[in-house]
Amino acid sequence: MKLALGLWIMGVVYAVFYMVPPVEGLGDLVRIAFFHIPVAWVSVLAFLLSAGWSLQYLRTRDIRYDLKSSAAASLGLLFCLLATISGAVFAKLTWGAYWNWDPRQTTIFILLLIYGAYLVLRTSILDKEERAKISAVYALLSFLTVPFLVFIIPRFYFSLHPEPVINSAGKLEMDAIVLYVLLAAVGACTALFWQCFSYIVQNKQESA
Amino acid sequence: MAMGKNLSVQLLDVRKKIGTRVLFEKLNIVVNPGECLAITGPNGSGKSTLLKIIAGLGQPTTGAVQVWYNGKQLDLEERRACLGLISPEIILYTDLTGSENILFFTRLRGLRCSQDQIEEYCKTVGLAIYKDQLVHTYSTGMRQRLKFALMLAMQPVLWLLDEPSSNLDADGKMLVAQIISNGLAQKATVIIATNEPWEAEYADCKIELV
Amino acid sequence: MPTAKSSLFNGIWAIFIKDGLCEFRTRYAVSALFMFALISLASISMSIGIVSLPVELTAALLWVILFFCAMAGLSRVFVQEQESGTIVALQIYGSGQAVLFGKLLFNVIVLLSLTLLVIPLFIIFLNVDIYRWPIFIVILIMGDIGIAAASTITAAMVAKSQGKNALFTVLTFPILLPQFLGSISATTKILANIEPNASEIVFMAGYNVVLMIASSILFDYLWYD
Repeated sequence: MKLALGLWIMGVVYAVFYMVPPVEGLGDLVRIAFFHIPVAWVSVLAFLLSAGWSLQYLRTRDIRYDLKSSAAASLGLLFCLLATISGAVFAKLTWGAYWNWDPRQTTIFILLLIYGAYLVLRTSILDKEERAKISAVYALLSFLTVPFLVFIIPRFYFSLHPEPVINSAGKLEMDAIVLYVLLAAVGACTALFWQCFSYIVQNKQESA
Repeated sequence: MAMGKNLSVQLLDVRKKIGTRVLFEKLNIVVNPGECLAITGPNGSGKSTLLKIIAGLGQPTTGAVQVWYNGKQLDLEERRACLGLISPEIILYTDLTGSENILFFTRLRGLRCSQDQIEEYCKTVGLAIYKDQLVHTYSTGMRQRLKFALMLAMQPVLWLLDEPSSNLDADGKMLVAQIISNGLAQKATVIIATNEPWEAEYADCKIELV
Repeated sequence: MPTAKSSLFNGIWAIFIKDGLCEFRTRYAVSALFMFALISLASISMSIGIVSLPVELTAALLWVILFFCAMAGLSRVFVQEQESGTIVALQIYGSGQAVLFGKLLFNVIVLLSLTLLVIPLFIIFLNVDIYRWPIFIVILIMGDIGIAAASTITAAMVAKSQGKNALFTVLTFPILLPQFLGSISATTKILANIEPNASEIVFMAGYNVVLMIASSILFDYLWYD
């Protein structure tokens, strides 16, 4: 399983450097996107999973859901940091500034704040059940703000971020090869996340 | 509330583990209306913890506490709405007077309690002349008496008493004995956690923790 | 047994009166908050002198000041109960919804009276002209309710943790952010003498309602173990 994942990731890396053509206007910089997009996707996915398991915990009071929720959040923070940094580097190289409060940057920054707050909250409560309960409530409460942020942020900041993969016309503006490599990269990144996640959960369950 | 006091408490295989230490396990008992359960045991044996679990302020590690009222099982919110708790962990507002404390808690629970009734309850516990003074001027014994006045005002069906006569003088202890036997006569369900042998004498059943 | 519905309003009112009375007797939180607001406004005004600020910055300043005042004082509703140990009695004798909304009501009133004091100072110190009072007042009320709603439930969360005050700000900010950005953008328009869109007001009101419903559902998990 691990071997297959390793080979897959190596394959994706190879494809990114040798098979994807440089894009007009961005040149070789576009290769950062093959790291940035999957990592950003995983950090959002981890947030959803963490909130989902929090809900499960509150309903069942089974401490295993709390372990899962916290493991997803810790990994989510890591991926979120990677996404922020790779995004900032890309921004510096293409737009000339590391940070300019672009809507996407703002969103990922808020995600970073929420992850940070959630994890700090966890470290500051000693009792295990109390911690599980309170942090689950916080995860769900912060999850609630997301739809509102999607509404308010674009009104507040002007965007330079490239269009999403599928733009508003529903048309793919991408070479087939680029799309396949990107999908493979997203898959690899998600699988890597899942592998790390299972490892952490297993470790925690054994020590608990 | 006063009518049909028909509340029973059932412990089903209750077990509590804190850290690696098992406080108690395999507790099975039914306490019926008008009956008194005494929980005894040395310090640190988990008396207060068990009482809190019965009050719904904590969960057992495994097993369950069920509270039945007129044939219906109560959820946590309903359970709290019909119990009265006397415990060192109950602390009343020191910035309010004795009667304001009673007024606040009865209103909070949606009960009507007139000034006359409050005066009556304060008189019962011997606080009549102090009822309009701030609680932070009270001694610990007076605060314990105020907790009893508050419990009487709440008219609970389930009484949970943790060391009810702690900090009380001889007169106060007699008062507690009086209040408990009145409660039992009115078919309240009483659970006492205690180290005092005389308090355990009311008990129809006992749990001895080790 | 009293029915839950009829006693809910009584319970909310009892909590509100109790908190108000305790606060009136000690005057601890409110006076500290007022001084905090005064100092933060005066320090800004002193450091910029008579230069007039751009409207975006002025609007942001107003909400930053209100936010940090709230962070300095609003956690008290639960932290105080926890520290003095009265929370156990409250948990035994009070229903979760009554406690939550009673505390929320108290926080809203504290924040509104703070705003009442901050606004004149704000106008004097920063030399601001406000042309559309009615809509400005609506925005202030909406914003204050939002801050109070977000901070009441986070106050209940931090009460049982360590390092309460720092954590309180950290937890509240991300939850409040949509409302915060909305208030700033609407206030900017007011200061620039532009009528804010109705949709902005609706957004703020909607956020308040959602926040309160979510708090109401989630608070029961915190209150009933």
